[in-house]
Amino acid sequence: MFEFIVSTLSPARSIPGRRQPIGFAGHRSLPAHRHVSAVLLIGSALLIQAKPSLCDEGQFPEFTWHGLLDLRYQHSDAAPGQLEQGLGKLREGGERDRWQINEAATTLQVRLDWDWMATATLKYAHRQSAPVDLTEAFLAYRPVGSAGWRLAGRLGMFFPPISLENVGTAWSSPYTLSSSSINAWVGEELRAFGGELRLDYQTEVGDRIGIFGAALANNDTAGLMLAWRGWSLHDFESTLNGRLRLPEGIGIPRLFPEQASTSQTFVEVDRRPGFYAGIAAERPQRYTLRAMYYDNNADPSGLSAGQYSWHTRFWSLGSKAELPWETTLISQAMIGRTTMGDLIGDLRAVDVGFWSASWLISRPLGEGRFSVRYERFGSDERDYLPQDRNGEHGQAWTVNYNLTFAQRHQVNFEFSSICSARPARLERGESIYQEETLWQVGYRLFF
Amino acid sequence: MASRLSTVFLMAWTTFADATELRGLAEASGRPLANLVVALEALDQPARAKAPPQSAAMLLDQKSREFVPHVLAVRSGTPVFFPNSDAIKHHVYSFSTAKRFEIKLYSGVPPEPVLFDKPGIVALGCNIHDWMLGYIYVSDADYLGASDNQGRWSLDVPSGRYRLTFWHPYAAEQPAQQVVTVPTTELSVSLKLKAQFQTGKPPASLQIQGYGDGF
Repeated sequence: MFEFIVSTLSPARSIPGRRQPIGFAGHRSLPAHRHVSAVLLIGSALLIQAKPSLCDEGQFPEFTWHGLLDLRYQHSDAAPGQLEQGLGKLREGGERDRWQINEAATTLQVRLDWDWMATATLKYAHRQSAPVDLTEAFLAYRPVGSAGWRLAGRLGMFFPPISLENVGTAWSSPYTLSSSSINAWVGEELRAFGGELRLDYQTEVGDRIGIFGAALANNDTAGLMLAWRGWSLHDFESTLNGRLRLPEGIGIPRLFPEQASTSQTFVEVDRRPGFYAGIAAERPQRYTLRAMYYDNNADPSGLSAGQYSWHTRFWSLGSKAELPWETTLISQAMIGRTTMGDLIGDLRAVDVGFWSASWLISRPLGEGRFSVRYERFGSDERDYLPQDRNGEHGQAWTVNYNLTFAQRHQVNFEFSSICSARPARLERGESIYQEETLWQVGYRLFF
Repeated sequence: MASRLSTVFLMAWTTFADATELRGLAEASGRPLANLVVALEALDQPARAKAPPQSAAMLLDQKSREFVPHVLAVRSGTPVFFPNSDAIKHHVYSFSTAKRFEIKLYSGVPPEPVLFDKPGIVALGCNIHDWMLGYIYVSDADYLGASDNQGRWSLDVPSGRYRLTFWHPYAAEQPAQQVVTVPTTELSVSLKLKAQFQTGKPPASLQIQGYGDGF
């Protein structure tokens, strides 16, 4: 029966000649290169820091550099994570200590004229599949507008406007090291390759209300990690040529033999564009509200070069409020579904509903900033492969205290605790229920 | 929160030694309050006749990616220059009905002045640096001043009766007008500041300055 399912799942839709490129394995076999790239990136970061980062020749283009170097000590007590091809909730699990260059990134902003700007972010990250690669690259158009109306647009590769926490250099968060489960997934699997338009009305007192929308491509595998691995806590953002390892021991190669051993995060499988659309409102220093609907419009039975297309759609809600006692409250919620495989009756091979919600409270404390985040997450499934178990539920706490010196040196102390139940762990001989913890000390340099 | 919501006490007094100088001190929760605009309208004909002529021109600088001063008070009809003391460009604009304009500022290049000919409050922004925020208070008053970083303000005025108007960008409610006779006895004004407000200054950490997605 499985073979029957598999043969219907891996149809002739697979495009001949577009199989997994052999060279991809080379990404993992060149650690020395990765090291050299990291050193180069850090070296250039320090060089740039030594110079004034802003200059004006009086003419366009005007160049501005920013960047980030992130050194990390971690102690995890957790199940095998994403890099170990496990079902733990961290990127790297196990009971061990790690020292690492977590990330080095630089953002180049080129102001082409008064209204146009090009932005590109290059990043090295610990065990990133392509050692140095792009996380964002886009052309932005933002004229002043008239009588309060402002039209703005972006064209290129960029994050959909979901996270209200990742507002710092290279999509870092000023509140925590690990992103929330929602934002970790956004960083891992979501990127818009396309165009975005935004129309805002700004009142005299500075309030803004607007609508935005985008047409996008190359996001057909988004949803795979949510279905097969579930929600997780980390701060890894996939890059242009990114590939993510799949969990082992849960029968993916048996049930989906056409699936490549890694997921190519930003790929167009079925040549069907997706979209997102939403509304945004802001009263500066008081609140921000954002609601959007995303649909990658993927053909659930699409397959190309070992990559299935996952029809992923969700609602995202976010609010940020400045409360008394200088306290900031950021709430985010997401609910949606991801579907993959041919239709049998009214069911498909994978059809997973997912949801998550997080609440972060942050305020200055002493010389630093103290943040606490609580989140809950879950997923359920309604598909014809009960042996491919993708349901789960869990919750997590993250507590962070960071100190910033001279605007650019930031020391972070962070503790995360994640409790989750995922029946698929049984297949790996693990207990369904896992309690995982992560202690981190991070030094981040911003320039 | 308590400190921010607390009442702001303003005290203004005249010095009896020099009847022509009207001085004041603005405070918020025991701290000096800068950028309080004080507008005087002369109610006596002799004082009004002595009101100074329109200012030739005023300056509002762009310095360290900030409008300096944060609040500028000018009389209607005053041209204001926007020099750029930074090594980068600024793109200053206002959507306010009192004056809608945009001006592109190259580093060190003196631009044409902008004429503020209608009374009202003009909120300034920079299209390149979203946090930049400043105000121009345009008024038909006879005398205008603003408190400095020590909360002090002073105006040289002839003796007589004046109507005082106060304005602060972050006052929850602007204080009521007062009529005083110079020289006068001590007077005090109280107002509440908004709980949260933009300062118009760059974010304290480079981390927040380094990312811009237009949202």
